[in-house]
Amino acid sequence: MMIRVLPMRTDDAFTSMALDEAILRLNATGRSPSTLRFWTWSPSAVSIGFFQSISKEVDLAAAERHGVQVVRRITGGGAVFHDSDGELTYSFVCREGDVPDDIIESYRVICGGLVLGFRRMGISAEFRPVNDVQVNGRKISGSAQTRRDGSILQHGTILVSPDVRLMFEVLKVGGTKISDKSIASVYERVTTVERETGKKPGMDEVMEQMVEGFGEALGARIFHGEPTEEELALAADLRKKYSSREWNWRR
Amino acid sequence: MPGAEFKAAKGLIRVELELEEGRIAKISITGDFFMYPEEALEELERELIGVRAEGGAVEDAVRRFYKRTGARTPMVEVQHWVQAVMRAVHA
Repeated sequence: MMIRVLPMRTDDAFTSMALDEAILRLNATGRSPSTLRFWTWSPSAVSIGFFQSISKEVDLAAAERHGVQVVRRITGGGAVFHDSDGELTYSFVCREGDVPDDIIESYRVICGGLVLGFRRMGISAEFRPVNDVQVNGRKISGSAQTRRDGSILQHGTILVSPDVRLMFEVLKVGGTKISDKSIASVYERVTTVERETGKKPGMDEVMEQMVEGFGEALGARIFHGEPTEEELALAADLRKKYSSREWNWRR
Repeated sequence: MPGAEFKAAKGLIRVELELEEGRIAKISITGDFFMYPEEALEELERELIGVRAEGGAVEDAVRRFYKRTGARTPMVEVQHWVQAVMRAVHA
């Protein structure tokens, strides 16, 4: 397999979700190659899973107060707070035939790229089914996948140094109130690149290690490319959906 | 709508429903599970409309849904949907 790697981007939540879907759709019609890309969120955002209720998952007043965007993903799974300064996000698109048909096994293969990338940074990461990467039982990355017309999109988080306090303010986390104790309990379940390595690496440095990890895990040749005009045009169109009330409030 | 939550091995299922004459008249399922293809969830809701609000009938409907759509729901099984629905019935 050959994997095209796109330059790192910083976009708002609606554009990022739109570009992911555009590449998925164009891969399904043979117009876009297998693609790996990394991006950061500006402003910070909450993404909710395709099947979630926006009002049950997100404190919308707090999100508005902090300028945090809220978007529904095309993928299932849970609500995630994406810190503009503390998270690198990846997405990977390939044909279904490039990975195992079994869903958990396909997560294992694609998350294998993350696992090897973390290990290159000296972090002893492991895949944890269904869709997490952990270090000593603590989550450092969570992913979500969808399959459309023979192609797969998997995207997910790489926790570098997220703001846990803001996460608590905007997510309705089982009714838990923000306190030093509840924040400490997050650090028992979640870890970050900064915590594991003792320093905050540059996002470009993390991306570089992850690209190597994906190439190795998937036995793929990497080439660098730009998004095509067609991808950007479709993404601009799909952005209207992701920023619409109709899409975000559908459940 | 009255509702209830059920935590499966991997994934929270939240069901809200209305009953009429002992049958499910309205239902909404949300949560952080995965379902492939995603559109199938609406089929599951549709399959449950009109079904008698008791475990056996709900289980039959959920099985019909899987058989008809071929939907895949990693770590979430027939019994989890049944329990989530029945919890909402008794809420």
